[in-house]
Amino acid sequence: MKNTLKIGLAALAVSTLGLSGCAQTSDAIVIGSQAYYSNEIVAEAYAQALENAGYEVERTFSLGQRDVYVPALLGGEVDLFPEYTGNLLQYFDPTATQTEANAVYDALSQALPAGLSALAMSPATDQDSYNVTQEFAQANNISSIADLANLDSVVLGGAPELAERPYGPAGLLSVYQVMVDFNATGETTVESLVAGEIDMANVYSADPRIEQLGLVTLSDPLGLFLSSNLVPIASDALDAQARDVVSAVSLAMSAEELVAMNVRSVEEQLSAAEIAADWLRSEGLIN
Amino acid sequence: MLEIPDFLGWLMDPENWQGRYGVPNLLAEHLTLTAMSIVLAALMAIPLGISIGHFRRGTAFVVLLGSVSRAIPTMGLLFALVMLLGVQLREVAVILALTAIAFPPLLAGAYAGVSAIERHIPDSAKAQGLTTWQLLWIVEIPLALPAIIGGFRVAWIQVVSTIVLAPLVGLGGLGFGIIQGLALRNFDQVVASALLIVLLTVLGDQLIGFAQKNQAFRLGNLSGGKTK
Repeated sequence: MKNTLKIGLAALAVSTLGLSGCAQTSDAIVIGSQAYYSNEIVAEAYAQALENAGYEVERTFSLGQRDVYVPALLGGEVDLFPEYTGNLLQYFDPTATQTEANAVYDALSQALPAGLSALAMSPATDQDSYNVTQEFAQANNISSIADLANLDSVVLGGAPELAERPYGPAGLLSVYQVMVDFNATGETTVESLVAGEIDMANVYSADPRIEQLGLVTLSDPLGLFLSSNLVPIASDALDAQARDVVSAVSLAMSAEELVAMNVRSVEEQLSAAEIAADWLRSEGLIN
Repeated sequence: MLEIPDFLGWLMDPENWQGRYGVPNLLAEHLTLTAMSIVLAALMAIPLGISIGHFRRGTAFVVLLGSVSRAIPTMGLLFALVMLLGVQLREVAVILALTAIAFPPLLAGAYAGVSAIERHIPDSAKAQGLTTWQLLWIVEIPLALPAIIGGFRVAWIQVVSTIVLAPLVGLGGLGFGIIQGLALRNFDQVVASALLIVLLTVLGDQLIGFAQKNQAFRLGNLSGGKTK
């Protein structure tokens, strides 16, 4: 149905990106990344670990959104990509209902098209989470999303699309019986939370500002949010040894370390390559 | 083969016409922000443009501003202003960013309209004993009006289409449907919203264009065919 248009648009976007021009004769491993600094750091970690193991690597970072780079992965123009289990599962199977980390990983492995496979899932997550300010949490004695049911009114802020997401206002009502007013605060969500315009904000769990501003991430005992762990997605072009190298990097990265690397990127303005190299060295993954 | 998204279905769905982010609300917000930006810009640009045209001084400034304004990254300016003023003043930030876009064409229109008047016309008006204010109100501004309205036409097109960025900083407007729709991969909604914006832009442009032609026609009758 609409898929034809989607694929057409994606193909168009990829060709304008000039990806087709990157198809090389050498057998270098082509690594892609999203146009998201945290994703680029992880891609850089994969790249340096592979280089350390003697592989030739080509970096094609900042490829934009999934609509653009998934066709490139399927077309063999990109061989390796850092992804997020839950979000990628939703992309391939919008009807998937799994939310727990391992269940999501298994479902994703099933849902991936032929030619692509998920390597070892990292303990590091970067997923949607609901956050409140410390003052709000203390004043209302709140630590879990379930606690919100006792409040009279809660204003939820987030990107415009949150209004329609399964974990948005509708999901809060059906899973936790929490009624919220939605305010599409877009890119200014965290600032709006701090300014008191909204009570609760949808922020990615690896966002450094949660730590920097001392926000309280509400626990999600009923699994409203889809787990989204970091996971390397590899094409069949990767040999077994390269897979082992990348899987080792993926397994070694903890949630705290991912946040710490994001903080360094934001606060120290270091390049993805420097941050990734420092972390790989501290883990003993490169020398 | 590309399939045409079912934007009509989206437009027909009553669900999309109600609530905070329904079409009527978004349209009202779109128009309010556009109108306020253009009015604010006009209050500054038109008097300035008329005086530059009248005294025929500072022409270089108009040209310079016209070129510089094309180099301003609107999105950057918008985010910088929101961060600078704070999220509580996001409306003000958006209006200021859009005012910066609307200012140059309005200035250019007013300046061009007045400076294009042939020299002997204001000179003979002065010879008739008109004061500077009378000269402005009776002769120069009416003659410059088609060009001034032309400035509004350009400003309208630029502002009404740039305001699509407003949802990025937490405001509404018809761009909401595009930005939300892209993230949700709901192309029916994206196309429907884009069409509404195009329709609004063209409609407004035609309306202002009609006023402009009307004014030019009136002047044409007065001066025996020549409007400029």
